[in-house]
Amino acid sequence: MNGEETLILHAVDQALLALMIVIIMFGMGAGLTVADFRAVARRWRLVAIGFGSQFGLMPLLAFALAWGLRLEPAHAIALILVGTLPGGSTSNMFTYFARGAVALSISMTTASTLAALFMMPLLLHIYTPMFAAQLAAHGVDGTAHEFVIPVGNIIMSLVLVLVPVIGGMILRRYSRGWAKAAEDTAGFMAMIVIVYLITSTFIRHFSLVLTTAPQVYIAAITVGLSGFFFGFIVSRWCGAFPIHQRAIALETGIQNGPIAFAIILLSFDSIALKNQMLWLGILYSTFIVITSSVFTLWLRRRGQRDWEITKNTLVHRRLFGHHFVSRYPPAFVPARIRHDPAQGGLEETKRDAGT
Amino acid sequence: MALGVQPGDAIGVISDNRVEWHIAETGIQLCAAVNTPRGTDVTDEEWRYIFSHASVQVAMVETPQELKRLNRLRADWPALKEVILLHGDVPPGDAARTLADCEALGADYLSAHPDAIAGREKALHPDDLFTLIYTSGTTGHPKGVMLTHAQMMSQIRNVPLELNCTDRVLSILPIWHIFERMFEVFTLSRGVCTYYTSIRTLGDDLQNVEPTFMGSAPRLWESLHHRIVQGIQRAHPLRRLLFHTAYGLSRWYRASLTAMRGETLSPPPARWWVRGAWQAMHALRWLCVLPGYGFFNAAVLEAVRQKAGGCLKATISGGGALPPSIDAFFRTIGIDVLEGYGLTETCPVLAVRVAGKKVRGTVGPVIPETELRIVDIETNEILYPVAPGSSTAGTDQKGEIQVRGPQVMKGYFKDPELTRTVLAEDGWFRTGDLGAVTWQGCLRILGRCKSTIVLLNGENVEPEPIEARLRQCPHIENVAVMGQDRKHLYALVVPDEKAFRAEGHPARPLAELAADQEVHRLIWDEIREAQRHPGDTGRHPAIHAIRLLPEPFTRGAELTNLFKLKRHVVETKYADVLAELYALENPGPTQRKERR
Repeated sequence: MNGEETLILHAVDQALLALMIVIIMFGMGAGLTVADFRAVARRWRLVAIGFGSQFGLMPLLAFALAWGLRLEPAHAIALILVGTLPGGSTSNMFTYFARGAVALSISMTTASTLAALFMMPLLLHIYTPMFAAQLAAHGVDGTAHEFVIPVGNIIMSLVLVLVPVIGGMILRRYSRGWAKAAEDTAGFMAMIVIVYLITSTFIRHFSLVLTTAPQVYIAAITVGLSGFFFGFIVSRWCGAFPIHQRAIALETGIQNGPIAFAIILLSFDSIALKNQMLWLGILYSTFIVITSSVFTLWLRRRGQRDWEITKNTLVHRRLFGHHFVSRYPPAFVPARIRHDPAQGGLEETKRDAGT
Repeated sequence: MALGVQPGDAIGVISDNRVEWHIAETGIQLCAAVNTPRGTDVTDEEWRYIFSHASVQVAMVETPQELKRLNRLRADWPALKEVILLHGDVPPGDAARTLADCEALGADYLSAHPDAIAGREKALHPDDLFTLIYTSGTTGHPKGVMLTHAQMMSQIRNVPLELNCTDRVLSILPIWHIFERMFEVFTLSRGVCTYYTSIRTLGDDLQNVEPTFMGSAPRLWESLHHRIVQGIQRAHPLRRLLFHTAYGLSRWYRASLTAMRGETLSPPPARWWVRGAWQAMHALRWLCVLPGYGFFNAAVLEAVRQKAGGCLKATISGGGALPPSIDAFFRTIGIDVLEGYGLTETCPVLAVRVAGKKVRGTVGPVIPETELRIVDIETNEILYPVAPGSSTAGTDQKGEIQVRGPQVMKGYFKDPELTRTVLAEDGWFRTGDLGAVTWQGCLRILGRCKSTIVLLNGENVEPEPIEARLRQCPHIENVAVMGQDRKHLYALVVPDEKAFRAEGHPARPLAELAADQEVHRLIWDEIREAQRHPGDTGRHPAIHAIRLLPEPFTRGAELTNLFKLKRHVVETKYADVLAELYALENPGPTQRKERR
């Protein structure tokens, strides 16, 4: 291990990052209530599809990319780590604007954050041994040394990250107003800190931008994109309605990046390894903002008609009672939502929405 | 038909918005009769005039209360045969029928004459009257505006709004008013669902209905703006900061977007390289602001939009000038207010902002099938459009707006002379409004021809923008700016009783407030402050003195039904107050009285 090598993040940056993680997770907790957990149980079928997509599909995609692009082991491990992350509150916001089911997005975030406690170590254990062995054989900086994935540390970091979430939930329990402010502030702060961290890292380590292999960029961009794409396709195959497809696709592709930073900083000890892993995390976080914005705009446009019909039906039910049938001309309702009970568009397909 | 109504007979309907109105309207149209509607706030005088002028055969009234009024006035209407009550029970001894009775009668009649409706329909000609609407215009007696089926159909064809059967429209205007009337037919033709609301329940209804579209007068937007701003002022300081950041970013973002799309009021620089540089600067700023705007739009402005239900695709404002600051506010928070322009005489829409031509401060381009020209008021010269081959474009020339199109009325009922003064032989209609056309072909409204105040020194002043600015002062409910042929401008102010009460002043009648020196000083300071920051109103002569009025301006009296000020009414009603004010110019014995 090279003692003189420094972390690509300064001490100040690290402190900022830590603060940001605490604030973000606190804000996420401030938006959660016990009712959200109950909702997970009620929507278990959809949450299960999402779960499969997040913890089954996404790590597999990350592994396939790492393997297919012949990434360096450190980058590969970081990519798989990104792939196994739970969803964050960012995806809820994007889902809202993509006109997806926000409630489902929240349920999935809640469920995956809890499940991550055991799913992440398990998945890392399944997918990373090959790359860990490469690391052990060649070392990060060329010299061979002992390397194992620090599973215990990872669990500890996850627990640490979850503490502010619980803090946020407690605040929400006692003061709605403050919790609302905390939720908004979290997004705002996170954005400022992330922009600062990314720009300062890019400026200070501009050589890294040039020396990083193109495969790494491809991997960092593709992992999110393929998450969106396959999340969308798979949920469609599973028979989810468009409004849920949109939520699942976004939830699959958008990961809780800050948790990755926390795990990398707290669980690994080689600075060179940390640097490579952090760099991939930073690249992912940068590109996902852009790709998810574009993807959201696409979903929004695609789902315009569905959403208008759904919204109108929901308003009708709220105003005129649950059994009111909203009628639309048959040709007006797109085929893909014709049998969606939430739309209630056609009389013969109207069922109890159960929402 | 069972009651003997013949095609073309006038049916007077005195009712506010309610579902029975639609039933009545459908019935009247199926009889090919002419609906002559008015709201329940009609004054006795107007009511008497309208019914006798239109020789109404059958009257429909909303509630027993209106029935009582009708019976009091009935002696003046020899033509009136039947009275129908839309809602409630007929008091014993009254000959009126209820709507249910009529429906039963109609059903019997139809089973006896199954072809009756089809026959009337076939006989109906596009040029037959659809409705006769009496406008309480800003001058004299109400005028009966004759609008035909063809005119209504042309509106349905040409009003450039895209609505479909998933849209929810929240309606707040009186249904008998031409804009709402046309809009009802328009929305029905598009399968849109309309929900009725009122000023009192508006806040809740916005949340319940989550409307996708609203059409209303500027007053509603003013009050909604006020509500949102108040909500923000009361919010957590952190959230307030977030809002201001979001608002600022959005303003830059939209300013650049407006410039890039060519939706600015003034034309872009003429020289190509200056224009190129100007466009590039805007593109650069747009790109820089985009990420921040994207985030804040999503995180903060969306929450603000939720206050208006969150689903509004666009809104339309007509029936008066929308203060530019309000327009800018809604544009910035992401709710498009499409300002439109029209008159009862034109059924009503003449122009409305459309996508690609949402130029702030204008009412957009004229709608299809409609021709527009701007005519110089003094010389009658046509300023726009210019003759082919002319060197100028004719834009930004101020003159009277004249229009020709399928929506222009047939004329005023039983008043060919008055019709001739506004409607020329060749179909050009004089709107009596001043306007100019911008470089993109959008219309700007610059005041009424007749409301223009000409001061003693010959300076022309448009009182409307000044009044719009002053109405934004927190303690002013309404104001009339006067001063025709005087040295200075004067203002008659109605203090805002609610604002004073909200500040903890004991509840006092307006008359007492108006007499209070303290209140006078407060409002006078506010006006002076407002004049120091004229904002969009531009420079104008200062207001020289004010008087507080002991009574509010009321709809039907000093205000038209769209809250436009009827200057001549104010002038006559407060002639003594004005005389007192004008006397200030010629110091004399009356000046003493001024210092109360």
